[in-house]
Amino acid sequence: MRFALLALASLRFYGRHPWQLVLAVAGIALGIAVFVGIELANNSARRAFESSTEAVRGQTTHRLLPLAGMLDESVYRALKRDPRFVASAPVLELPFTMSGMGSGTLAMTIRGIDPVEEVAVRGLQDLAGLAGTGSGDPARLMAEPGAVLLPADVAARFDIAVGGQLALSFGTDGPLAELTVIGTTESSVDGEPTLVADIATAQEVTGNNGFLSRVDLKLDADAAAALAADPPPGTVLVAAATEDAMLRELTRAFNTNLTALGLLALVVGMFLIYSTISFTIVQRWRALAVLRALGTTRAELLAKLLAEALAIGVSGTLLGLLLGKALSSGLLELVLRTLDDLYFRRALGTAEPSAWIYPLGAVLGIGATLLSALVPALLATRQDVDSRRRSRLERSATVLTRRFAFAAPPTLLAAGLLLWVAPRGLVAGFVALFLVLIAGAMLVPIATRALMRALEKPVATIAGLPGRLAVRGVSDSLSRTGVATAALAVAVATVMSIGIMIGSFRESLIVWLDRTITADLFVAVDPETTTDVETALTALAARPDIEGFNRQRVARVTTTAGSLDLRAQSAGPEGYGIDLSEPAGATAESLLVEDRALLVAEPLAYRLGLAPGDSLEIATASGLVSFRVAGIHRDYDSGSRSELFMALDSYRRWFGDEELTSVGVYFTAGADETTVTAAIRAALGLDRRAGIRSTARIREASLLIFDRTFQVTEVLRLLAGVVAFLGVLSALMALALERERELAVLRSLGLSIRDLFGQNLAQTSLLGLTAGLAALPLGTALAWMLVHVINRRSFGWTMDFVVAPGPLLAGLVMAIAAALLAGIYPSWVGARADMGLAWRDE
Amino acid sequence: MTDDGRIELSAVCKSYGRQVVLDRADAVVERGEFVAVVGRSGSGKTTLLKLIGALASPDSGAIRLGAHDLARMSESELTLFRRRELGFVFQFFNLVPTLTVRENVLLPLALNRVARERAASRVGELLERLGIAACADRLPDQLSGGEQQRVAIGRALAHKPRLVVTDEPTGNLDKDTADEVLELLISSCREHGASLIMATHNRDAAARADRVVRIAAGRIEAER
Repeated sequence: MRFALLALASLRFYGRHPWQLVLAVAGIALGIAVFVGIELANNSARRAFESSTEAVRGQTTHRLLPLAGMLDESVYRALKRDPRFVASAPVLELPFTMSGMGSGTLAMTIRGIDPVEEVAVRGLQDLAGLAGTGSGDPARLMAEPGAVLLPADVAARFDIAVGGQLALSFGTDGPLAELTVIGTTESSVDGEPTLVADIATAQEVTGNNGFLSRVDLKLDADAAAALAADPPPGTVLVAAATEDAMLRELTRAFNTNLTALGLLALVVGMFLIYSTISFTIVQRWRALAVLRALGTTRAELLAKLLAEALAIGVSGTLLGLLLGKALSSGLLELVLRTLDDLYFRRALGTAEPSAWIYPLGAVLGIGATLLSALVPALLATRQDVDSRRRSRLERSATVLTRRFAFAAPPTLLAAGLLLWVAPRGLVAGFVALFLVLIAGAMLVPIATRALMRALEKPVATIAGLPGRLAVRGVSDSLSRTGVATAALAVAVATVMSIGIMIGSFRESLIVWLDRTITADLFVAVDPETTTDVETALTALAARPDIEGFNRQRVARVTTTAGSLDLRAQSAGPEGYGIDLSEPAGATAESLLVEDRALLVAEPLAYRLGLAPGDSLEIATASGLVSFRVAGIHRDYDSGSRSELFMALDSYRRWFGDEELTSVGVYFTAGADETTVTAAIRAALGLDRRAGIRSTARIREASLLIFDRTFQVTEVLRLLAGVVAFLGVLSALMALALERERELAVLRSLGLSIRDLFGQNLAQTSLLGLTAGLAALPLGTALAWMLVHVINRRSFGWTMDFVVAPGPLLAGLVMAIAAALLAGIYPSWVGARADMGLAWRDE
Repeated sequence: MTDDGRIELSAVCKSYGRQVVLDRADAVVERGEFVAVVGRSGSGKTTLLKLIGALASPDSGAIRLGAHDLARMSESELTLFRRRELGFVFQFFNLVPTLTVRENVLLPLALNRVARERAASRVGELLERLGIAACADRLPDQLSGGEQQRVAIGRALAHKPRLVVTDEPTGNLDKDTADEVLELLISSCREHGASLIMATHNRDAAARADRVVRIAAGRIEAER
């Protein structure tokens, strides 16, 4: 009975203040929608990534790689005889260029497999699994000579139907091989599109009879340890997971970043819930005191308030789950595009996200609501039975404000300690980031009071008593304005920090592009060209419009840390074009003079814990050779294939590979790009479609991709802004409602609607200004952490911390604009307060 | 029409929905006169005060204060009228909680743009007169009920209005304090030559008025 009455009182309260109910539900719904939307998109993308890598790697645990050149098939046969290594499959993989009438050329890989062994090693159910979602029957690969499976998108691009013939040449002087397309495969994820053939076919058409690229193995721990300790001569055993560990780690880091942003939206949403529930309690301060006076126990009152919060939480969460589902499709597109741009360079498919995200979202939504409601509910139940005076509440708020301010330094200290204890942990980094955010929010109310004290005199001088009223309205209602200002400051600081981080990253990228792209043109050397590239370059060097060249060779090398991309390069007229981050003050030109010296890209160095002076063993033509890590270079482009970088001379000496992948061309002053391009085409015998790319366009494209990459972040910034706006709107509506009587008195005393409207707006602007000013140091601190802690721990990147005035100013304007906009309606409502209210109590 | 400060209600009607509160009510209050309005709860006393105080408009009829016909004035004219000519004392004090005692009393003077020095001297004078100079820099929350109502009287009289409208000004106070406050209110109004219209249930308070009118069945009747 008593609970029914208490519930009825709650229902009627919200019935009288429906907008408060709407804003509370909207706040939770939006917070949950952002979190669930991001998680669904993330999860779907992650599953797509995993299913793609799974399709290639399956249950393969290890790979046996040759230290140099190819692997003799006899190694595989010997291995197969050992019962410990029976789950093994031979693979021959070689690159080739696919070309067709009017469809240009396409860099592809031919993969020769033993379908039966492949099924066993990859743990597939049957042979059909090899084609994935494609249409081919892999069993025919073994039965029909020259049978191949072609990726569906390649078949479509080159207009090749199943049953069609292919005449391909593998290698410069290779014979033209007649192949029959017996079906299609789905696209694989690890690099270029792959033509699948039986191992015998692949060996024959590529002229590699009796040779393999590697052996894939499914090993238990003991077998792996045994083989690693005593591999067949000329081979090295590498864990298959290390092959895509980097990619997996980067993707995970990207996903973690997004999840953190989603959680941030939820935290801002929690502030909203806290402020809304606080307001509903403040509004009923007297009524709750009366209930206590009538004999309602603290526990009953707490139960009533938490039951209200639960009802709001459940409604908001359900709505948030629905909204999140809708939001996820839009976000998924952005997430996939970012992953494609950043890591895969090709389209990823989609996958159904885990259904667990919905219950997780529900628990988070309801839990966050109850947690946010707990503090104000406990405060309400602790009030004196006779505490009808608001001043007591304000005094409690003042005490709480001081306590928060005192709690902020230990919170910051805890963040620092966490970073110190876990110097590489990403989750620890995020927890520290959240602690800094919370510490900042804790300081906002006291900062609000201090700022209002400082502003009171000047504002009163300019705007008189109404101005003073506006200032006091903020500082003397800290129980409400404090939370609203903190919520707005947190949201604005978040938006600001992401802006600064993106700005810093963009600036660093521009500097990096300027330092690394020193040539004017990049020319991709056709591996099948019959032209003598060196002779052609010597002839071109004589031209007055060409200053010089750099020569580049990109290769996949086997190291003790797995297969890695190595870029070997000769220094051009402007040096190597490498942006060194370590050792400080050194240049690539001075470091790479030493034989067996190499540079390691930041992300790889961070992942492997490599520093200048360390060494890395690489399989060369002379076997495993220890190279010295001479320096660490910045590499913001995972597609640059510069995990390792060394001087071309050194590479040729150790790897015996004289081929070139590309050439950088440097112009003399005043050179005409079109003329030089034409000359290069003629000299190297390149057709019109061949890859000559202007570095100016590469720079533009890089920045375009960068901006596209951060679109998803921009969307999340916007959503956080909307949540913040709702928070301020809710706070101001509550303030206007609470000040109704005061405003009615002021109206009675002769203040016009316009005066009151102006005064209310001045008050909301002050609130916005305070939040904006508080967000300046907080946003800058968060940005510093994003740049130096989160990005470093996520991607291994170091970057310059650039605090441009733009994001700071934009944040300040956003805070004031959000408060002003949110203040218009409440100010209007407040200014039109019924003057009759002044005559009535309650 | 001469501005004699006389308040005149002619055939004033006011209804809230179907409930008729005032039905062709007539009344006159002379300048400087203290009129007590009595009647049962819900009889329409507060409505009458709101109409006279320019806080609400009649459905029909005329309300004149001197040369001003309130029914013909626009919203902004009414606002200025209240600011210059009227003072209010509410039962629940209704001081601005974020302003000190001094500032609350200063408020009408600031709104009327009275020069700073003159305003300060007027406020000082009133605070002394009302016996609250010692708590000039305190906030309303730090005052007793009697002190708060003295501040409210100060605020009502600060700008020397022609009319002070008050609804049960002592309803929230103990008897001794109520007597003190009432005495202050009446004497202050007389000193300033302001008319005083007070709605009250308190017979002792009504007894001190120059004239008592009763509201019953929507009409205003002279009781004494």
